[in-house]
Amino acid sequence: MKDPVALGPIELSASEAGAPDAGALFQRLGAHNGLRATGRAVVAVLLAFAVTAIPILISGKSPIAAYWALLHGAFGSFDHVAFALNKSTPYILTAVGVALCFRAQIINIGGEGQIAVGGLAASWVALNCGDLPSLLAIVLALAAGAVAGALWAGIAAVIRLTRGVHEVLSTLLLNFVGVLLVSEALNGAMGEAGAGFPQSPMFDEAVRLPTLFSGYDLHVGLIIALVVTGCAQFLLWRTRFGFQLRLLGGSRAAAAYAGVSFAGGVIGVMLLGGGLAGLAGGIEVLGVHYRLIEGFSLGFGFTGVAVALLAAANPLAVVPAGLFFGFLQAGALAMQREVGVPSSLVYVIQGFSIVFVLCAIGLDRRWQRV
Amino acid sequence: MATAASDAALDCKRPALEESVLPALLEMRGIVKTYGAVCANRSVDLDVREGCVVGLLGENGSGKSTLMKVLFGMIRPDSGRILFQGRALAGHSPREAIAAGIGMIHQHFTLVEAMTVTENVMLGWAAAGAVLKPAEIAARIEATSRTYGLAVDPHAIVATLSFGLRQRVEIVKAILRGAKLLILDEPTSNLSPPEVAGLLGVIRRLREERHSVIFISHKLAEVIEICDEVVVLRDGAVSGRTPIAEATREGLARMMVERDLSAPVTRSARAPGQAVLAVEGLTRRDASGATRLSEIGFTVQAGEILAVAGVDGNGQADLLDTLAGILPAHSGRILLDGRDITRMSVRRRLAAGLAYIPIDRGGTSLVPGMTIADNLAMRDFDRPPLARGPLLDPGAMRARANERIAAFDIRAPHGDVQARTLSGGNQQKIVLAREIGRKPRLLLAFQPTWGLDPGAARFVIDQLLLLRDEGGAILYVSAELEEVLTLGDRIAVLSNGRLSSPEPRAEVDVTRIGLMMAGAA
Repeated sequence: MKDPVALGPIELSASEAGAPDAGALFQRLGAHNGLRATGRAVVAVLLAFAVTAIPILISGKSPIAAYWALLHGAFGSFDHVAFALNKSTPYILTAVGVALCFRAQIINIGGEGQIAVGGLAASWVALNCGDLPSLLAIVLALAAGAVAGALWAGIAAVIRLTRGVHEVLSTLLLNFVGVLLVSEALNGAMGEAGAGFPQSPMFDEAVRLPTLFSGYDLHVGLIIALVVTGCAQFLLWRTRFGFQLRLLGGSRAAAAYAGVSFAGGVIGVMLLGGGLAGLAGGIEVLGVHYRLIEGFSLGFGFTGVAVALLAAANPLAVVPAGLFFGFLQAGALAMQREVGVPSSLVYVIQGFSIVFVLCAIGLDRRWQRV
Repeated sequence: MATAASDAALDCKRPALEESVLPALLEMRGIVKTYGAVCANRSVDLDVREGCVVGLLGENGSGKSTLMKVLFGMIRPDSGRILFQGRALAGHSPREAIAAGIGMIHQHFTLVEAMTVTENVMLGWAAAGAVLKPAEIAARIEATSRTYGLAVDPHAIVATLSFGLRQRVEIVKAILRGAKLLILDEPTSNLSPPEVAGLLGVIRRLREERHSVIFISHKLAEVIEICDEVVVLRDGAVSGRTPIAEATREGLARMMVERDLSAPVTRSARAPGQAVLAVEGLTRRDASGATRLSEIGFTVQAGEILAVAGVDGNGQADLLDTLAGILPAHSGRILLDGRDITRMSVRRRLAAGLAYIPIDRGGTSLVPGMTIADNLAMRDFDRPPLARGPLLDPGAMRARANERIAAFDIRAPHGDVQARTLSGGNQQKIVLAREIGRKPRLLLAFQPTWGLDPGAARFVIDQLLLLRDEGGAILYVSAELEEVLTLGDRIAVLSNGRLSSPEPRAEVDVTRIGLMMAGAA
């Protein structure tokens, strides 16, 4: 939502007149909306770290040592950074798709299934592309992943439009189906013979995603994610389709009055969101694992939703939010190794961050309404 | 104090309003509320005595809503005191306001449609007990309803009740929760003339039972008829306060707007042109199969306003939405300039020259969270000049916003301001600017002055007359009989999905129209 430029300074004085509260604090962080939103997110994240210090203290460890290990694990070396960036990539891609859906008030929580199916399709192409040139094979595999993800989400859109089943339900249930499809394929035709674990054979070198710097694991997926994010921002604010999405999200009645088709919007944005998740799945198998592994998509879809929420459904804000989650999880392992604090505490920090950001957004809405 | 004065208070009948004897129920002193640079209430005083009806008048943005929200505990004032029944209210919530004896009937009701009246009354009412006793509550509803002449059936499902009856359910709800003071926010906006008369009767009964009422309205005639005294707000401050005996319509209007509005609406006499809109046998049923529109036929000529009177829920929304292409027609034909548009989409009808102002500004004709520029582009965003191919042209959108903001005097610094930050009148100007600004052949207008103060309403009416004088055809649908009579070149009544045969304004019998609106003729 665009904020009126005039809001900043005006509300500043209003907040000073009233009782000082968190809203006033956020207001003071900046007159401009973008700055204010950023400040809001940073404060929320810092609060999350502060609150998570309590369970760390209870477990008898030093929060400072734990957070230092976390920081070191995330940023300590170029390898660490590359690992974290790779981890962030699928989050960013999935979250951009989810954010676009949220903008249109479509609640797509099927990222996990869409990633799984996307990874499956990309793997199938990667294993069966024969002697195609490397670039063509990679593009084909990623495209297959995107299309599979889009179709998977499209099922939910069609069910919504023809049978009136809410997409929350259908996308959620399709997650299980998608993940089990991967297992089914790995236990059958696509599984590696005699591996003892449900995984596919390794892909040829030629269909693996190229790395950005030789000698390091950082692959081109990050660049794809950044480009996609920019495109999504442009789509939302500068295209007719984006206007339709915003109108549908703003008011279904207004959209009908403006002649914008609900069906068209739902199908379009679900295909888009599913496509991005499917692309993320493709990038994950081609860039990180070089094979399809059972459970490779575990938790990615919901992390994507969380990242989109943290970014307040703003495509550009998805990038820092996705990086935050990626680096946090990358650092978590180091924290566990070096200080003995369980890495699952990182999920506590993630959870608190989202809760605090949502609280801040809620405050802001209430402020704007009067 | 209350016992000593109770006998005198029962005598509270106009115009013998004796200030000294009636005990004060509510005293608001020096209420100040600022929103940034905007001062919504600048030291407002308001007194309501027991058993009195106080009219609260003022244009939109004059601070009425803010004052009432402060009273009901929805917002906190920057400074000021509230004494209710001698007890200070400060930093209270709406729940505490209700417990103290203040009831507010909002314009938009807070009823659950799928529940019965009794269930709605019990909902969220702590005094109904942890174990609900519907029979007992129903009996109390019946008793209360008899006392105040409300005629509410406790077992009726709210969805089956008319707007006027739902309002009565809200009143019963407030009284049973112990409201000594009822705030009625524009209570007559959607009522037919007989329903208005009924409501005014209920208010008189409330006064006789020594309840007090704050009656918020734009309609001066009703205020003069029902209130004991009037308080007028302008620019966040009290601009006038007068016992009703000394009030005149002209005087009140002047206090509200600081300018004379009595100049009559001018309209040029013109011969009707050719038919722009022709409707034949239009029928529509809703999802449950109930007939909403039945064999409707009429024409609207170029340079003519066909005004259709009718109370909400008699098919008005169906008629306009069907003509605009938002709802499908089941049979019949719609011709625009001789072209059959019955099966055309909303977009193609727009392109054919059909403009539409729906009644709901809050989420249909406007998206409050979008900017003015976006709202102005809402129905034209996918055509040149606002779009080039699949892309929007932000420069063109900004240019159009600046041009329309100037042409329609929208009070906003620029087009990047969210529509929600504007007053109702300025929001409606955005809608007018968009719909009239494209010079339509036919304009469908559904109560476009709804909720607007007299100044803003006048602006809307002048714009419609201007369009008419330029040769546009207008279908004007409203529940406000006065407006229908002022605007219509020909007048018809829509009741229960049937349209009466349009009559020229000179031949109209007002009483009969009122009865037809109520479905009685």
